[in-house]
Amino acid sequence: MHDSPTLRIFTLQPSSGIPIYRQLIDQVRRLVASGQLAPGTELPSVREVAAEYTVNPTTISKAYSLLEGEGLLQRNRGKPMTIAGGRQKSGSLPQRLRQVEAQVDALVLAARQLDLSSPDLCDFIAKKMGEES
Amino acid sequence: MSAPVVTARNLGKAIGRKAILHDITVEVQPGSVVGIIGKNGAGKSTLMDVLLGFSPASSGSSHVFGHDSFTLPGEVRGRIGFVPQQDELVSMLNGRQHVDMTAALLGRWNRELTDRLQRAWGLPMDRHVQKLSGGERQKLSILLALGHEPDLLVLDEPVAALDPIARRQFLQELLLIAGSPGRTVLFSTHIVSDLERVADQIWMVREGTVVWAGPLDELKESVVRLSITARQRLPADLPVPGVVSASVQGHRANAVVSGWNEAALPGLRETLDADVEVELLSLEDLFVELHS
Repeated sequence: MHDSPTLRIFTLQPSSGIPIYRQLIDQVRRLVASGQLAPGTELPSVREVAAEYTVNPTTISKAYSLLEGEGLLQRNRGKPMTIAGGRQKSGSLPQRLRQVEAQVDALVLAARQLDLSSPDLCDFIAKKMGEES
Repeated sequence: MSAPVVTARNLGKAIGRKAILHDITVEVQPGSVVGIIGKNGAGKSTLMDVLLGFSPASSGSSHVFGHDSFTLPGEVRGRIGFVPQQDELVSMLNGRQHVDMTAALLGRWNRELTDRLQRAWGLPMDRHVQKLSGGERQKLSILLALGHEPDLLVLDEPVAALDPIARRQFLQELLLIAGSPGRTVLFSTHIVSDLERVADQIWMVREGTVVWAGPLDELKESVVRLSITARQRLPADLPVPGVVSASVQGHRANAVVSGWNEAALPGLRETLDADVEVELLSLEDLFVELHS
């Protein structure tokens, strides 16, 4: 058995407060929205992900099923699941922004507590993202 | 849903006048991995003992594969693998002799599996148990519980003596079992991060009873910490449903709430006239918060 090329694409942190299945769903959504996981890309099997990250296979198959329900993944008989093609393209800007809203909320709260101004924070983010401000 | 593997109804256990367990009602579905957490002395080991019928219940009932725990027929016992907290190895025998004896006793044995584990875990099979380290004894106990491929595997603190590498190897073995249809695992550990990897159900045991039983995901999503920053001074008695613990200081407050529902957030922001940040808690934090 050879590893699927996408096996290490995820970052799963079991000790995070965010349940593992939600971490996986969020990451697949983001990677699809940005086009990094293109339609037709094969996903590693439930067993492979569970073994690679030492996590319960049930939590991985729960994430895959929910993503299939959303129409983001396609189940193929006897073959790996793939990123669904067709109607969905990479998400619009507002859709993609909404996917980082929770993280931004947390950032804004921390920034307020530290009394950081919006321009200072934006400059800092731009630098982190490797852009010239 | 198929018949549960283990059930307990209003289960209680007293030794003399001292109640060790009381009013425990739980169920284990086939194929699940149940992680049991609780402080020392909370009753985890006694619970496992009573569920498996090593010790009789004082009240209520418990069943394994539909049979009363205390009078399990031999063929049902043969479907169970158990790793006790204190191993029951014989110091004068070596690992190989333990395997041979257990295999002969149980009548069925997967030698390929135990040979593979023994190699993977670097377990010296020709050494007398007396000469084995704590970790090696624990590995041998686990190997002996896995060899007959039990449908129900029960482990009481199985990893306490294992180093991180051995623990990871053991967890991977547990996941292989979890991935086989219909095989069920029940285990207790203090290493909460292990539970977060492999358990899909959690039982939280506190002062002799199960205070929370359910899916790990549900637990993480329903008990959260709120950071509140209001425009006005906040009342000491926060008007937030389900508060487990809270500290209020002027405009700011931190509160751990249980029974949280994401949909309640906009309403809460309005009621409190505040920014409300929701932080999900790791199982370890949850455990500490729910015991505070």
